[in-house]
Amino acid sequence: MLGSYDFCGHYEWTFEWLREQGGDPLVRVYWDEAIHRDSQTHARELIVAGGIAGMKKYWAHTLDHEAAGFAITHKDDVIRIDMHDCPSKGFLIRNGLAQYRDYCDHCIGWIGPLMKEAGFVIDHAHNHCGQCWWEMRCADDFTPPSAKGELSGQGDVRLRSDWNQAGEMDVFQRATDVDDKTTASPA
Amino acid sequence: MAPDKNPLPYTDTKPVGAADFYFAINATFRFVLRKLGADGLRRYWTHMGTHYHAPVTARWSAGGASAIAAHWRAFFAAEPGAEVEVSERGDIVRLEVKVCPAISHLRANRREIVPCYCQHCYFVSEAIAAPAGFTVRVSGGNGSCRQIFQRRDAQLPPQDFAQIKEATC
Repeated sequence: MLGSYDFCGHYEWTFEWLREQGGDPLVRVYWDEAIHRDSQTHARELIVAGGIAGMKKYWAHTLDHEAAGFAITHKDDVIRIDMHDCPSKGFLIRNGLAQYRDYCDHCIGWIGPLMKEAGFVIDHAHNHCGQCWWEMRCADDFTPPSAKGELSGQGDVRLRSDWNQAGEMDVFQRATDVDDKTTASPA
Repeated sequence: MAPDKNPLPYTDTKPVGAADFYFAINATFRFVLRKLGADGLRRYWTHMGTHYHAPVTARWSAGGASAIAAHWRAFFAAEPGAEVEVSERGDIVRLEVKVCPAISHLRANRREIVPCYCQHCYFVSEAIAAPAGFTVRVSGGNGSCRQIFQRRDAQLPPQDFAQIKEATC
């Protein structure tokens, strides 16, 4: 039986298996069709109907359920998530599991299409070490991403001394697609 | 349990998994079936058993039936809502799955379950067990089942897929 306990391990293995079967396009379609539109229908229902309030409800429940180390900050026009200890990526790191080239891409791989449908865009960065941040705003709001500490205070993951530990950062600006990524060396 | 004492090769800091991950497992089966057909789905399960679960095979090869029984006891202890009895007699390990945690959670949340969902238990476990000199037979399904692991030299007839029920909501 495939279990929930080591789910992140066989989920990550599946990305690479799908890539071998049908290339990157099949992986992207998987994240959209299987995860966004099938597995995560509960997220879709909350967020498309409730916008930022729906996002807060979904992530507060999900991240708590997965025992994540995280902070959620929200205002009427933006929601920010600071992930300090991703349970999913952390599981992979601790167990030495790395089949697919960037596991972290799966999040924007399914959340991106969902946000597009709900009328939002994403500013996001991940450091491949189980730490990332997200800001979601309405697509017609051109406010740039917040400065360090501006929205989430001391909970801002970018203030961590180890935020730049990996040597390169994947960055998304006003994105809804995993291919909107740029990879940058940390300043 | 310390990782070096845990019968499971991949360990986490939390004691049990998040049940909502069963949604993604079910959705993945549906996706692979739709894109790659029934043969593709069986290939996915077999490859996962052979490759992702290779450390399990290594433990079963080294420890035989006792390692198989220890694996499943630890496995189901970490699955939310599972009710499973694991027994071992000689080289035979028997799992009596009284409440399958996946089917139970999918059903409780009114998710459409892939009809062949329960077949994955045969294909994944057989791919894990065969290189270790064991084979599995599955009967029942759709929420409760029996899985028996025996030595391959027991000359069992092939798995009868009519003995594995279709899963329903």
